Amino acid sequence: MVARLMTDLDAGLHFRHGLIVLTNTRLLNFEAAGTGQPSFLAWRLGDLQEFKLEEMGATIALQLMGNDTLLGQWRVTSGSLRQAEAFIARFREQRRILSGEDTGAVARDNEIEEDEEEVFAAEDAEGYIPPGKPLLRLISFARPWYRLLFLGLVLTMASTGAQMIAPWLTMSLVDDVLIPLQSQTERVHVHKVYVFISELALAAVLTWALNWGKTFVVARIAEHVTSRMRRETFEHLQRLSLTYFNRKRTGDLISRIGSDTEHLSLFISVNFIDFFCDVLQFIFTAVILFSINPLLAVAALGPVPIVAWLVQRVREHLRGGFAAASRAGSQLTSVLADTIPGVRVVKAFAQEKREIERFRVADKHIFDTNDRVNKTWSFFTPMIKLLTDLGLLIVWAVGAWSVAHDSITVGVLTGFVLYISSFYERMDSMSRFTASMQRAAASAHRVFDVLDVKPDVPMQRNAVKVGRLRGEIEFRDVKFRYGSREIIRGISLKIAPGEMVGFVGPSGAGKTTLVNLACRFFEVSEGAVLVDGFNLSDVDVMDYRRNLGLVLQEPYLFYGTIAENISYGKPEATRAEIVAAARAARAHDFILRLPDAYDSMVGERGQQLSGGERQRISIARALLVDPAILILDEATSSVDTETEREIQAALDHLVKGRTTIAIAHRLGTLRKANRLVVIEEGLIKEIGSHEQLLEHSGTYARLHQAMLEVAHA
Amino acid sequence: MSTPQPQNIEFAKDDQGRLVLMDQDGVRHVNVRPAKLFPLTEKDHWISIQSEGAREILCIEDPQSLQEPSRSLLLNALARRDFVPIIQVIHRIVRLADGHEWHVTTDRGNTSFEVETDESIQPLGRGRLVIVDRRNTRYLIPNVASLDRVSKRKLEHYY
Repeated sequence: MVARLMTDLDAGLHFRHGLIVLTNTRLLNFEAAGTGQPSFLAWRLGDLQEFKLEEMGATIALQLMGNDTLLGQWRVTSGSLRQAEAFIARFREQRRILSGEDTGAVARDNEIEEDEEEVFAAEDAEGYIPPGKPLLRLISFARPWYRLLFLGLVLTMASTGAQMIAPWLTMSLVDDVLIPLQSQTERVHVHKVYVFISELALAAVLTWALNWGKTFVVARIAEHVTSRMRRETFEHLQRLSLTYFNRKRTGDLISRIGSDTEHLSLFISVNFIDFFCDVLQFIFTAVILFSINPLLAVAALGPVPIVAWLVQRVREHLRGGFAAASRAGSQLTSVLADTIPGVRVVKAFAQEKREIERFRVADKHIFDTNDRVNKTWSFFTPMIKLLTDLGLLIVWAVGAWSVAHDSITVGVLTGFVLYISSFYERMDSMSRFTASMQRAAASAHRVFDVLDVKPDVPMQRNAVKVGRLRGEIEFRDVKFRYGSREIIRGISLKIAPGEMVGFVGPSGAGKTTLVNLACRFFEVSEGAVLVDGFNLSDVDVMDYRRNLGLVLQEPYLFYGTIAENISYGKPEATRAEIVAAARAARAHDFILRLPDAYDSMVGERGQQLSGGERQRISIARALLVDPAILILDEATSSVDTETEREIQAALDHLVKGRTTIAIAHRLGTLRKANRLVVIEEGLIKEIGSHEQLLEHSGTYARLHQAMLEVAHA
Repeated sequence: MSTPQPQNIEFAKDDQGRLVLMDQDGVRHVNVRPAKLFPLTEKDHWISIQSEGAREILCIEDPQSLQEPSRSLLLNALARRDFVPIIQVIHRIVRLADGHEWHVTTDRGNTSFEVETDESIQPLGRGRLVIVDRRNTRYLIPNVASLDRVSKRKLEHYY
């Protein structure tokens, strides 16, 4: 066997497994045929002409041609695209070997095989979800605080033990003091009462002090663990590529870092530790009861297994319910995070009703999921109360019978009832533990879900540190695929240091994707991007990006002062540098008119600035880092012509002496460009100066004509 | 990249009490206005001198480098325009239906002011806090940590 390809669809697009196998001389096809006999087909390679691959939306069609007729047809889902391509490559190699055209094929074969294995390995790793023990994984987060953990453990045991003292003292109090006092059969010294009372008080104080210590220590551990989780999740998020953020809803990510970690903190500091205390108390109580009277102990602890069984039953019900509730909650947050920032669009299109409806649906969803959970859970709590009452009844009954038969004293019965009822009091909260554990497990899973995503722009070991670049960029046979869509279909372009290149073309042509590849926000699927001769995938990303200046269509300002926003890429910048950058970006004058000048707060909650003003601040920001390579992605598209002129003046300053890639719909923005590159459907259509391209009367000339017509209309 | 501070400039006062600037080229600008570039974070440096039409004529990085009497004239003119009370003690913060009312002692005496939202309390880094009231006056707390304990606790509810 030379290669194989698993197909997962049949020609009618139903899910059905099949297998195409390539051997040295033949091509074999097996296909499961439902209940019937699996079909089997075979061709000799010599009879075959070509294997064609065609992308059809979410699926890929494979067509086998021989003697100018269609011999076979298969479909695979787009996830198998790379395997299919590799398979076809092997098929072609094999045919060439057979016809004796290619002697170097063997060596290349090996390469392809390696590639293929890598693909499989990568996919395995991505699809692999660690087994559902998210709570156990929490423990690994607590490791650095093992001393504190140990202290917490000791305090917990001590405080639980201290709670056992009071019922113990009560036993002697009843037998040695109260009953003799009442029956007046013997004389009792009053000071004995004082001794008992003060002993009880002491026990209470001791319990209080130990509980205080325990609670504080445990809360601190919980805070440490969750703060570490929050930090690591956020750090991890920062490492993830832009593609990840494009796929995820902002509100959902926010709630994972915000509220899910909060749930976990609460779980560790309250639910878990309570449960742990309860278990300890149970053990201590059992030991004490059995040491006093085994028969009564059996009667008292009898109902416990029944309750435990009930807990087990309900656990299964609650598991899915709480996960659904958490998801429903974050859906609501998403709707909010979507609608509130987009309120202008909502109002402009008079879609308030629709948004209200969307919110209502999300809210109803929360109600329904919670209602479902509550149904199970509300039955559960009273049920436990009933069982504990029955349990206590048994103690009373067996106890009364034993007292009547003189096998125990009244004091012992009192002690038993105190022990067992204080234990049953906790039974209720103990049962709640399953619920909170499920909730915490769901939260932990959602957090680890983020942590387990592997960055798709991998961190390079032994990456080349490029330092300060001259700014030469070369795209070499670059292809880029997003899912099954091929967005860049083979682009080669060399940009000299200091050159300004304008990318022109219709929306969706792949201009922004190309820029994203140059910034290494995305990884090329094939080919390479080289900067100053270094292959970008070997280069230390952070080090490389220090050479980049980015001005986007929608300038993003962080919540902070204008000075902080300008110095975002270079926090150590002096005030003189900040002011100079703002001057160069033509921002100084309008900044001065703000009430707090450079100290004015901007960003989401800050001063309102116009689009042009924000753009000039972002230009100042790019200027300050003095980048070797400058990317202008539709920098002037969202402003009026007047403002555009001012921004243009600022940009002219910025462009000087830097390699610049500018994307623009307004062709006027590109008048300073040395070359214009017309991109269409992922390919370069034309390259040349403005005049050359007009003369050529191709796509660019058409675009230019269209612009002029719009301008004169 | 920084613009060097212009040398040999002088301030004077004309008969009507207006501030007059003689710039490095000997041009006379009447009724100029000084404005701070960093009124909250670096209020003693970076003074922009603007013409009557609110255009910047020049920028002085350090007023202390000026000769007398130019320096005093400039600093006085600044002091007249500049009103950012520094909060020393917070006595009371009262929740209102919309926003809250602060009763404070500042370096300019006791006062009370109304603040619209919690967002009007803005951190400026390194413990600095600026509070913008309804009338757009700015109140500064240069360092939250150095407030007294009671003031800090009052502040805690809002920031």
